[in-house]
Formats: sequence, C-alpha cells, structure tokens
Amino acid sequence: MNAFDYRAPRALDEALAIFQEYGDDARVIAGGTALVTMMRQRLVQPRCVVSLRDVEGLGRIEATNGAIRIGALVTHREAETSPLLQERLPVLAETFRRVGTIRIRHMATVGGALAHADPNQDPPVTLIALGARVEIRSADGRREVPIEEFFRDYYEPALEPVELVTAVTVPLLPPASGASFVKFLPRTADDYATVAVAVSVTLEAEGERCREARVALGSVATTPLRGRAAEALLSGARLDEDVAKAVGDAARRVTDPLDDHRGSAAYKREMTAVMVGRALTQAWVAARASARGAR
Amino acid sequence: MIRIRLAVNGQPHDVEVPTYRTLLDCLRYDLGLTGSKEGCGVGVCGACTVLLDGKMISSCIALAVFADGREVTTVESLADDERLHPVQQAFMDAGGFQCGICTPGQVVAAKALLDAIPNPSDTEIREWMLGNLCRCTGYYKIVESIRAAAQQSRA
Amino acid sequence: MTFTQECVIPVERARLWDLLMDVSTVGRCVPGVETIEAVNGSAYKGGLKIQIGPIRLSLEGTITVEEADREAWRARMRAEATDRRLGGGIRARMSLALSPAEVGTRVQIDTDLAVLGKIGEFGQPVIRKKADALLEEFARNLRSTLAS
Repeated sequence: MNAFDYRAPRALDEALAIFQEYGDDARVIAGGTALVTMMRQRLVQPRCVVSLRDVEGLGRIEATNGAIRIGALVTHREAETSPLLQERLPVLAETFRRVGTIRIRHMATVGGALAHADPNQDPPVTLIALGARVEIRSADGRREVPIEEFFRDYYEPALEPVELVTAVTVPLLPPASGASFVKFLPRTADDYATVAVAVSVTLEAEGERCREARVALGSVATTPLRGRAAEALLSGARLDEDVAKAVGDAARRVTDPLDDHRGSAAYKREMTAVMVGRALTQAWVAARASARGAR
Repeated sequence: MIRIRLAVNGQPHDVEVPTYRTLLDCLRYDLGLTGSKEGCGVGVCGACTVLLDGKMISSCIALAVFADGREVTTVESLADDERLHPVQQAFMDAGGFQCGICTPGQVVAAKALLDAIPNPSDTEIREWMLGNLCRCTGYYKIVESIRAAAQQSRA
Repeated sequence: MTFTQECVIPVERARLWDLLMDVSTVGRCVPGVETIEAVNGSAYKGGLKIQIGPIRLSLEGTITVEEADREAWRARMRAEATDRRLGGGIRARMSLALSPAEVGTRVQIDTDLAVLGKIGEFGQPVIRKKADALLEEFARNLRSTLAS
C-alpha cells in the first residue's frame, strides 16, 4: 500500500472539512474490507484515509416512524443479529447474514458497503425491494435518496465529491405483505451471487390480488436494478404460473449481465427469470400468511 | 507513522507503525507474533484470523490502527506453558490438520465459536467455520475436532 | 476478449476517413486522452486516463496504424499501453470499417482486447462496459469536432 495520512475525526463536520482539504485524494474508510483490499492491490492510492470510526452517532439501529433507521457505521454482523431487524424486517437481517463470512461481517459496515457500490452485493437488492432511502450528509446539509437511485455505475455511487452516507432508512412492510430474498450462488457460500433477487408483495385486504410489488435484481448489471416492468405485471394480479413466468421474463429483459467466473451473461439472464419466480412465490406465500394473520 | 496502543493476548503494547501497516503485519513483524499467517491477502481464506475485542476478523485487511485502544487475541494466547487449549488438543487428537498452514486460523475461529456457542450443532459449526479454508483435510476432521473440543469442555 | 461496436457519424465517408486517419487530432476526441503525438507516419504515442469508481488507470503506450485501405474503407490498428503504477496494461487489435448510413457514415470497430496484469485480474467485464461508454463519448466528441 502507499503511504498515506490517516485521520480519525470525532465529528461529521470535521470529517467533511478534511475532504475540503484533500479534495478527491482522500478516501473514507469504515470497516475497510473493500478499501484496504483495493489499496493492497494498488488499485486505489489515496493521499489521505479518513476513518469514521470515532464519529458519534453513526452506529445505531433504531425504530423511527414506521421504519428502521440503520446508521452507516453499523456492521453487517450487528445488522444480522439485531433483535429489532430480526423481528420487524427478518428478510433484511437474513440478507445481511448472507454476506461473505462472519469475519467480513464483523468489519464491513452498512454505509461503507453502499458507498462501495459493487453491483454484486446482496443488501442493496433487499433494500431496493423494501423501498429504503439513503441518508446523505454534506457541508451544505442533508438529503435523502431512494436507494434504487443511489447507484450510478460500477463502483460509482450517486455521491457528489464531498458527501457521506450517514444512514439507510427502511420502511416496515405494510399489513398483508411478504418479502423474500433469493441468493443464487452455485459456487461457495461466501461468494457474491451469480444472480440475486428480492421481491416484496403487498396484497389486497382479502389476500388474493396483488396491490403493490417491488422487484429488485442484483449481480445482473453494473448496478443493482429495480424491475419496474415486472412490477407492473403484478399490479392487480393473482399469482399463477403464467403470471410468475411473465414477471420473470420481464425482469430478465432489463438485465445486462457481465460474463465472468460466476456465470456467462446468458446464464445469468436465464437464472434471473428462474429466481424471480422463486422469490415472487415465497414473498406471495408470506404475504398471504400475513393477510390471514391480520384477519 | 502513527502511534498505537493495543492489548495483545492480555499484554499492552505501544508501537509506532506506518499508517499502511495491516494488523497482521503489525502482529508478525512489529510484535513478533508469527502464529497468524497470510494466506490469500484479500481476507477470504482465514489463515490470518484473529479476534478483535473478541470478534473474529481477517487481520490481513485490517489496518493496524484499527486495533488502537482495543484487544487483540491471537493463536499464541490459547496454550499456556503447561497445557494446550482444549481446541488445540482436540485438533491434535482428532487429526484436524495436515500441513498446518490454515490451522492457526482454524483454531482461533473454533475458540471464538465455542466461546459464543458452547454446544454447537454440526450445522452451526460448519456455518461459523465456513470462512476458514483448508486445502488438505477436506474439513471432516476439522468439524470432528471442534465437536470433540465442545464435548471435552462440557466434561 | 473480442467485441464489436458501432456508431453513426453525420458526415460523408471520405471526410470521416481523412479525419480518422489523422490520429493526432481524432485521438483527442477519445475521452481521457491526455497526450497524443506522432512518432512517425503510422505510429503515435500517448497517455489515457480511465476511471472506474475510485480506481484510476493511467495508461501510456502506442497506437500503430498497420493498414489503411481508403478504397475499401477499412483500417487495422494495434494499441499497447501499460499502467506502470498498477503493473498492468492492455493490448488491442482493432479493425475499422466505414459504410454509408442513412445520414452520414457508420463506423464499425471490431476489437480484440487483452487486459493484462493487475487490471485484468480486477475487471475484464467492467472494462468491456467502459469501452462502450468510451465509444459513446468519443462519437459525441467526434460529432462536435466535425460540426465546428
């Protein structure tokens, strides 16, 4: 790795000021699992590394109005084992659990992972299906972005030069809803997915037709995707084999996968349709149970 | 350079290291604790496993400065002058290693497992240990060793 | 990896050909090109910066026009560049073919690209996507150069 200045500010404003000083020669470090790996390979050579470890207030998981707010410095392991997430958003806790290994999850943070913007990551997929919003701070103030708009390109989040992710807020599922995350990985369990899908479904009160759905896809483009065309097919629909197949095909059509060692582009396209079908069915079953439970 | 104060295996240390020093290199070169190994250098194989405040991490991709003010536990902490740790003894008795390169990491991870889950099921053992790769044993003997260590600790 | 790309430039074929063969000028339309200068009649050396998220590649090398057939509207080029900092580089063979389009000229580029060393390990498929983005911007720059 190159020699660099290391700073560990105690407050967000202090951190932002350091970036004014160094410009884009400074990089943020949280858990470091992505950054240190890239620095060891000399792919990234910042003049200054700014650790957010000592910044107050970024490490909490808390219930807010009908949502759960996860601070940027919360580790994957903390999110995975959080009683609040396990009880209120188990699909999200489970998604965090699927990331890498326990060692990685002890260090890698929720915000750091989002800012890294690797399209093969798992959490963004479920977060998109749950309609999460990313909280961003800059010297000028604060803004919130729907998470599906947060990813610009491979390793490129929609962050302006001196902006930091401070939290992600995840709405709870409304009644008569279910959500499912499917990680298809024919290789080892600690790898990124060949294809990842998350679906959330909200049913009409009688529990038969879909009122609203969100379909999210990972590892099939240079960013995670939201499958709006697939979602549109579910509006007002009953779930049957034809609908599931049509939804899978619509999702497949928006993918633009890369050929790599996890699968060819063609294989990933095919598996997108299959996994969307599975996630949709699982989410629908959960939504039905939720609707029945409510009645 | 940056000055860090860390406790390693219960001993306080005060060292000055370059900012780019990884925790693994700090343990091995600055502190002479060569038990932890570098296998892959990208945090995947687990040969560099240490505990940071009791939690297992890949020390090859952790900056040494992350350990400032914290407690590190390495494989060297397991045995005392008299006896091996039950996990180490179990690995020897059950044949849980061959070449030994992954073994420090396996043993530290296994200790962390039994600290967290004293009576783990086979599923729990495999899930916990999944990030510690071994090219020699095929993993069966590692699981057996951990099972035996768990039983032994309860005896 | 091999791939084919296409763009349409609203200018008639002969004029486009002459511009494309003026590598020093057209080279500046490639986004990220920092320097380009002729070494001799058919070889040029230059530097190109590409960014993939936080990763900045700084490639320096040469491009050689191996064959230029104005009658058949085809050209072959060879490019080699390295990033000395990262210890990696690229080697590419490209064939250009110009054909008439509805408005202007269609440029078809067939590339055989080898990505070597560190860069190759990290992201062959990403580089493929980058190549598409590069061509789009190149075409835009080319069109505005021709318009002025």
